[in-house]
Amino acid sequence: MRMTPAHVRWLLLLVLLVLWEALPRAGVVPTLFLPTLSGSLLALWQDKAEYFANLLVTLNEVLIALIFACGGGVLLGLVIGASGVMRRLMLPLASSLFAVPLVVLYPLFTAWFGIGSESKIVFASVYGLLPTLLGTAAGVQTIDHHLVTVAASMGANRRQQILRVYVPATIPTVLAALRIGGALVIVGVVVAEMLTSSAGIGFLISRYRTLLDSENVFAAILLVLFLAIAFDAIVQFVERRTAGWQRSGQGTGDGASFA
Amino acid sequence: MLRFRSIWFARLAIILAFFALWEIAPRVGLMNERLLPPLSDVIAALIGLLGSASFYPHLGTTLFQTLLAFLIAVPAGAILGILIAENRFASEVFKPLVFFIFSIPKSIFLPMFILAFGIGLTQKVAFGVFSTIFIVMMTAFAAIASVKEEHLRVARSYGASTMQVVLRVYLPSMTPVLLEAVRLAMIFNFTGILLAEMYASRRGLGNLIGTWGMSFQLDQLLAAIILISGLSIVFNETIRALELRLEHWRG
Repeated sequence: MRMTPAHVRWLLLLVLLVLWEALPRAGVVPTLFLPTLSGSLLALWQDKAEYFANLLVTLNEVLIALIFACGGGVLLGLVIGASGVMRRLMLPLASSLFAVPLVVLYPLFTAWFGIGSESKIVFASVYGLLPTLLGTAAGVQTIDHHLVTVAASMGANRRQQILRVYVPATIPTVLAALRIGGALVIVGVVVAEMLTSSAGIGFLISRYRTLLDSENVFAAILLVLFLAIAFDAIVQFVERRTAGWQRSGQGTGDGASFA
Repeated sequence: MLRFRSIWFARLAIILAFFALWEIAPRVGLMNERLLPPLSDVIAALIGLLGSASFYPHLGTTLFQTLLAFLIAVPAGAILGILIAENRFASEVFKPLVFFIFSIPKSIFLPMFILAFGIGLTQKVAFGVFSTIFIVMMTAFAAIASVKEEHLRVARSYGASTMQVVLRVYLPSMTPVLLEAVRLAMIFNFTGILLAEMYASRRGLGNLIGTWGMSFQLDQLLAAIILISGLSIVFNETIRALELRLEHWRG
């Protein structure tokens, strides 16, 4: 039987998992460096109460930051992207800012807001905001301008144009932006927790690292990975669902322009 | 031309208004001066930093680590990316994997690098390379895709050698995308190195920033933030200007 690319990928994953278990067990790699896969999963299971309590802290921060980052990013992106002047005025500024390593702002936020949840939420919101804004603004430009012209000629005011034309037409872009922004918000929260905090999954990662408890470090990292992948899968699922709706919308649009 | 200039002035006005607000808000008591030192104090702190001999070893450490990781990650990522993209089976196997790895957060693996390499130079550079190499590979995929099949066919049918095809077709088509790789790689790489320094280190800009934040030396902290932002923006804009010139030259 010929191997398909998907088979090769699964085989690679399997080899990786087997090596992860076998290499530390055989003593080829020190367990401080790489604990066994089973050991890490066992650690996750044994301390499940602690992981669960800290996961709730992290999830809460992620959720609030998501609202700020994606809400703010999409809103600003729509406003900037919909107007030619704003676009030429603001987009170069926004993409210059994109080059700044935002992680250097985190110590400032801890000084301002303390080491509790607030500094994580602010940092993750800022971290996720710019890419969401740039993505949305770029998406607004790709929409069909005939739609706007038609709406305007039928007497739609600016507010109606934005609500009835721009918003529905930008749903795919907004979802794409949400995917990028959401991933960044999760990283932002966890990294902030890793740097200075007293609770959350990132805090557990750093605490176990200072204790040199590799099994728990890997267990917590696996948990964050799972969180990031699950979020991505959920947004992809919504993307697929709305893609069908978008096509049907475009279908009637074609009919209207034909008439 | 006039409109172009007025946009430019408006943009300048926004930047100036931001800095003016930063100066005035703490001076008139809208913001706590301890939490947001006025811009002039921060600039004084920046001049103080640049004038003190003890600052340069930290700056040098960070820049050296960034440069080293960059010089490893960009060629390695470009070569790997091109090799994968040029082979059909390899691209079918590895492209989805690279996309997947790119989409998962790399920063959370930082503690693993500490467990493996300690907190010295090797760990910083290894983490910098790890944060950067996947974006370079993805851009290399895009670079190969930007080479037009027709151009290749024309070149080959006129009897161009492999060397000529590489130099005359691949390189000119790919240069703008590869410049984009350099630009994005530097953003990811610099962020990775600074994060690694903030997380655990004995020297470097990231280390200084972390310490200043904890000890509430906010004028120094903000001075360093301005310096780092300035460096990043200047690098980014230089590469973007180069990209634009090349686009122009390609027609």
